[in-house]
Amino acid sequence: MAVHLHPSAVSTANVPSAPAARADGTAPSTPLRSVRPAPHTSSAQELWAGLHLNGLTPVQRLEELASRAQRFSPRVSLAPPDGLLLEVAGSLHLFGGVAGLRRELTGECGHLQPPPVLAFAPTPLAALTAARAGRALVIEDPAQLVGLLAPLPIAALRWPEETCARLARAGVRTIGAVLRLPRAGFARRFGVAQLATLDALTGRSREVRATHRSALRFRRRHELDCELSDHGRLHAALEPLLAALGAFLTTHQCGVAQLECRLLHRNGAPTSCRLSLAASRADAPQLSALFRERLSLLQLREPVRALELRADQLLPQRSPCRGLWQLGEQGGEAAEESEGLIDRLCARLGEGAVHGLARRAEHRPECAWAVTSPPALAARRATTRRAAAAEHAGPPARPLWLLPAPQPLAAQGGLPRRRGALRLLSEPERIETGWWDGGEIARDYYVAIDRHGVRLWVFREREEPHRWFLHGIFG
Amino acid sequence: MEYAELHCLSNFTFLRGASHPHELIEQADALGYSALALTDECSVAGVVRAHMAAKRRQLKLIVGAEFHLSCGLKLVALAIDRHGYGQLCRLITRGRRAAVKGQYTLTRADLEALGLEQCFVLWIPAAAPQPQELRWLAAHFPGRVRIAVELLRAGDHGSRLATLSRIGAECGSGLVASGDVHMHVRNRRRLQDALTAIRLNEPIAQLGTRLYANGERYLRERARLERLYPPELLAATIEIAHSCHFSLDELRYQYPRELVPPGETPTSYLRRLTLEGAHWRWPGGVPPAERSAIEHELALIEELRYEPYFLTVQDIVAYARRQGILCQGRGSAANSRVCYCLGVTSVDPQRGAALLFERFISRERNEPPDIDIDFEHERREEVLQYVYNKYGRERAALAATVIMYRPRSALRDLGKVFGLSPEQSGRLAKVMQWWDGSASIGERVREAGFDADSPWLRRLLPLACELTAFPGFPRHLSQHVGGFVIAQGALEELVPIENAAMPERTVVQWDKDDLNDLGLLKVDLLALGMLTALKRAFALVNGYRGTSYSLGDLPAEDPKVYDMVCRADTIGVFQIESRAQMAMLPRLKPRCYYDLVIEVAIVRPGPIQGDMVHPYLRRRSGAEPVEYPGKEVHAVLHRTLGVPIFQEQVMQIAILAAGFSPGEADALRRAMGAWKRTGGLDPFRERLLSGMQAKGYAPEFAERIYQQMLGFGEFGFPESHSLSFALLVYDSAWLKCHEPAAFACALLNSQPMGFYAPAQLVRDARAHGVEVRAVDACVSAWDATLERREDGEPALRLGLRLVKSLSRAGADRLIGARNARPFASVEDLAMRSALDRGDLEALAAAGALAALSGNRHLAFWEVAGTEVPLPLAPVDARPASELEGRPLLTAPTEGQSIAADYASLGLTLGRHPLALLRKRLSAAALTPAAELISAGHGARVRTAGIVLMRQRPGTASGVTFLTLEDESGQVNVIVWERVGREQRRPLLESRLLEVHGELQHQEGVTHLIAHRLIDRSWMLGELTTRSRDFH
Repeated sequence: MAVHLHPSAVSTANVPSAPAARADGTAPSTPLRSVRPAPHTSSAQELWAGLHLNGLTPVQRLEELASRAQRFSPRVSLAPPDGLLLEVAGSLHLFGGVAGLRRELTGECGHLQPPPVLAFAPTPLAALTAARAGRALVIEDPAQLVGLLAPLPIAALRWPEETCARLARAGVRTIGAVLRLPRAGFARRFGVAQLATLDALTGRSREVRATHRSALRFRRRHELDCELSDHGRLHAALEPLLAALGAFLTTHQCGVAQLECRLLHRNGAPTSCRLSLAASRADAPQLSALFRERLSLLQLREPVRALELRADQLLPQRSPCRGLWQLGEQGGEAAEESEGLIDRLCARLGEGAVHGLARRAEHRPECAWAVTSPPALAARRATTRRAAAAEHAGPPARPLWLLPAPQPLAAQGGLPRRRGALRLLSEPERIETGWWDGGEIARDYYVAIDRHGVRLWVFREREEPHRWFLHGIFG
Repeated sequence: MEYAELHCLSNFTFLRGASHPHELIEQADALGYSALALTDECSVAGVVRAHMAAKRRQLKLIVGAEFHLSCGLKLVALAIDRHGYGQLCRLITRGRRAAVKGQYTLTRADLEALGLEQCFVLWIPAAAPQPQELRWLAAHFPGRVRIAVELLRAGDHGSRLATLSRIGAECGSGLVASGDVHMHVRNRRRLQDALTAIRLNEPIAQLGTRLYANGERYLRERARLERLYPPELLAATIEIAHSCHFSLDELRYQYPRELVPPGETPTSYLRRLTLEGAHWRWPGGVPPAERSAIEHELALIEELRYEPYFLTVQDIVAYARRQGILCQGRGSAANSRVCYCLGVTSVDPQRGAALLFERFISRERNEPPDIDIDFEHERREEVLQYVYNKYGRERAALAATVIMYRPRSALRDLGKVFGLSPEQSGRLAKVMQWWDGSASIGERVREAGFDADSPWLRRLLPLACELTAFPGFPRHLSQHVGGFVIAQGALEELVPIENAAMPERTVVQWDKDDLNDLGLLKVDLLALGMLTALKRAFALVNGYRGTSYSLGDLPAEDPKVYDMVCRADTIGVFQIESRAQMAMLPRLKPRCYYDLVIEVAIVRPGPIQGDMVHPYLRRRSGAEPVEYPGKEVHAVLHRTLGVPIFQEQVMQIAILAAGFSPGEADALRRAMGAWKRTGGLDPFRERLLSGMQAKGYAPEFAERIYQQMLGFGEFGFPESHSLSFALLVYDSAWLKCHEPAAFACALLNSQPMGFYAPAQLVRDARAHGVEVRAVDACVSAWDATLERREDGEPALRLGLRLVKSLSRAGADRLIGARNARPFASVEDLAMRSALDRGDLEALAAAGALAALSGNRHLAFWEVAGTEVPLPLAPVDARPASELEGRPLLTAPTEGQSIAADYASLGLTLGRHPLALLRKRLSAAALTPAAELISAGHGARVRTAGIVLMRQRPGTASGVTFLTLEDESGQVNVIVWERVGREQRRPLLESRLLEVHGELQHQEGVTHLIAHRLIDRSWMLGELTTRSRDFH
């Protein structure tokens, strides 16, 4: 017995709006293995809507639109960079025929400027070609297909420019003219691939189009039995969600670097608790430990009614390659360990409290170092070590502690003072640079010593009135 | 305390040094330095300029160079004497010749091989000094090595001095102060940073420590140096400066001598060749007057010892003649009877005015002789290679040309410095048109919609001004168009030789002005397209008329030729085909050879700027009496009706009327040629005005003479050149008048050259009754050819060379196969010529297969299907076309055919494209070009045409000249500066332009003064037209 399901029947279980579809975290899309939509036996039954977006569209926008368009048909197909195809024969009646569907579909992308062109035709390529030619044709009768396509320019077929130019030199500029050419002769001159396009256009051969699948993400919600405000119990309630995430990640061989736990309240806006990890992770216990740190710092304004765990960006994860030696043993690199440490520090102290430092090859002292984000820290360490070695013969002494901004110093008799007169120990080092970005400096730097024996890094401006500043303190 | 700077780079260390050589010299002098060494990196390209400036300032210049060896060793070599200078040049040559253009490679082995015995060597230690470098130097250059101590306020003076003293003591080498100077004053620091970014091709913000930390690399005040350096280090600079006593004035140039056969002296040999030539020129016997004139010239040449120069030129010309390469000399010495006898020129001394040799070469003026030789442009390379082979690459090389920053290139490079993408900086550069001067950069940038007040542009614009300011900031060396320097000894000991971008070319490091300044002689071997065309035209005419015409052999002074010239019917004629020339012809009305000499020279910036054109025309037409401003100048000016036209006349007026000495006149001549480069014509103005006033000349006349000198500056056009050019004018005009088919044919085959594209040449030929036949794969050769019509007259058959993207090799195979047997079909053609798809499609697109396949569409269908058969493939009896059936293709419309003609051939034999648009144009009340003539002077008219040409001469103060063409003819449009500025886009971008304006008829010349410009290019659809833009 063959199970014959109408395409739209399959789709109802997968439209994004249905909450059930999200619960397991898989993407709302046509399943490939489970119930397959019935083979489309005859192309005559198909009606394709071709949508041409005017202007360049990033692929992400196109995918977004495709996901939304899945509410009209399960068979949505991308035609990058600027086209979208929907097979709508089955769902036409749900939206009030071609006119209704056109209205709804156009409404769906109402924000796009200039507005997209929508055409209907029995073959996907015909629908797309008409739309690309800027003609909002509706061709429901296959017998009319060739006649209505004939006046369209061949440019709409998106053949290589050279092919179109060569056809134009034979006086062939429209689809009608190209369809009049002898098949064998055409194929020999302009290629079999081009002939195949024509066959797909007219429905002489059937074009198989890949159905769009939305990107993978994980979202799960857990309604609490009672409102909670205790951090420990909240964390316990989060555990099953994290376990589910762990299982999901293992199944899909993915990891997460960004994770959000939303705590929903009765009245106020949800509280968000985010984790940013130094490297992508997939194991639940580690994530749980990190959330414990984060949750403990959270200030809750009111009790929590429900929890939602969201991981919208999944990264491909290879299972870790385990070394023979224990970490730290036999000189094995402790990279993983320190990443864990960074994550723990970030989780406990909050992001922004942990950062790395890097050297930059710049003459201006304030630009000669930079703050790096924690994830990059570990990677940087090795290169910094190398750079430091290379710059052995670099500029003279620099203080370990550079002030965030130079502090003005009083001066007396042309010499700086700081809790008493300073004694200049070195010759001046002149730095004049940075004029290109508005941070121009022109200074003479000296190493100075105060009466307590503290060595300071001071400078005198080259410009009048030659003010003195303290810029750093040597250890 | 005295000081001499021994390590100093100028901007001839391209994209490193930030000051001109003369700025460095002047600043060093102002600071009271005892001497300055110019030590550009592996180069002496800037030393002549420095030498001239140092002579003016009486500052001692030391010649040297900086080298970075492959091993990392950095040193400066300073020439002690002439021998040391030669060694330096040899070393530079070796490094440059071993690398690609603009680079050099030198190793310690090179230094060991060549030696620098007569040079001081300064070791420039790295940040962490490597004592072994010094040990190596001290071993190879004993006693002449010093350690350069460059204290640049890096905070390490004490320690560095101590380290270097210790190393010096170990090796027994003394220390010397130096400054690693990159700029003459410290405020060039930004420019130096920007140049570094350009050189490293990275945005400046990314350079970090690759920039210098501070701006200390300038010429520092002596008091400052005294505070920094121990006195003995400063004294050491003076010691070296005293020991280096080489001056560029010592360079003595000697002409090659091997041209003289054994047993002869240069004098006797030149005499023999000249007298032999005289018998050839005057087969019936040399007239006595000529004979004595020849003797006179030979005596003068002998006295000035110019024989080798004349013999060198004679040898090159004789070679060209043996190879059948057409050539002609011009320039001061070329118009001598000696050169006429040697065959260097064809200016028959008796034909024009009788010329005095002293007009061109004079004992007192001590000018070097100057001969430029023009060759057929397609064969000049043979001559160049002959010279290289004859004298060897170590003795002959081309002069260099210094490429300077122009507003566009400056903006493009600086845009990248500030982090703009190549596209963005390209857009920034495009705001400047080719005529925009550097002063208007800020204005243009604002106009183009850039926010000139944005911080980065506020930083960029001053730099752009510095790069483009007078006299132009050098960017790199290129090769001169044809100036050859040939030496008796090794040229590379005179000046370094380096590789040019073109393979098989080598150039010296000095440009023509440098060579001039040092009195080194060069021969200009130039390429001239008209000679190629004339050669071809003579061959064609001689072919079908059985004549034996050649250069200068045509029937002289033919009135029909002058009639044609007076009508300004001169498309294709040498020199007088430009718009400005065509506008002059009906007014000047040339009737003889000498009128052509004047015509060639008068439409030039000199006479125009000196306001000499109108007085001359008025006197010629009798509207004004011929008067002379003073009795001294009568002899000079009587041939030009009392009005100075030529550069030589202006020079002679300076001598006769302003009392210049010959030496001063020579200085004036040099200054005139170079004032744009170095300025400094002002002192001559005073001298000229006061001198002429003293002799009773009107101040206005004196001022006009001075203005004329300014105009001559860049485009000075002397009579000596005009005399030679006028011969080519006459010959080409004669051919156009009597043999229009052959003339057009020759011009088409010599493209690209001249002012007009093939479309206009063909249109003009047809207007003169020449039958032009289409390109046809069954008949056409590669070149255009002449076919004999039934009435015996020639018809012009267009050649396959016009067919766009047809390969030469494919065309040759096609002609070969066709000679074996005519083609039966397109398939037959494709198979036997073994043409690839691209060549076949090119032929179809050109309509060249019409005879075999009917219209273009069918031809294209056929060739698109042909395949080159594989050698072992079974032969199918029936061609594929029969198996496939005939396609349903529409025939091309007339418009499509014309568009296809233009796209492939650049011209059509069908109707002019505007003929098809005429109905729409008439509906828009636009008048065809031919009907404009009948509208009266001052009439308001509207017309439209395809833009053939845009011209913006530098002398015309912002006026743009346009030439429009429609099916009835051409219209000359004048766009005044204000109109052009306000309607810049239609002016620059239109292919089809509608013009509303006012008509002007003047002395047979019609112009349309534009008021409104409207871009109608869209009406042309697919038609591809291109304007030729000149300036």
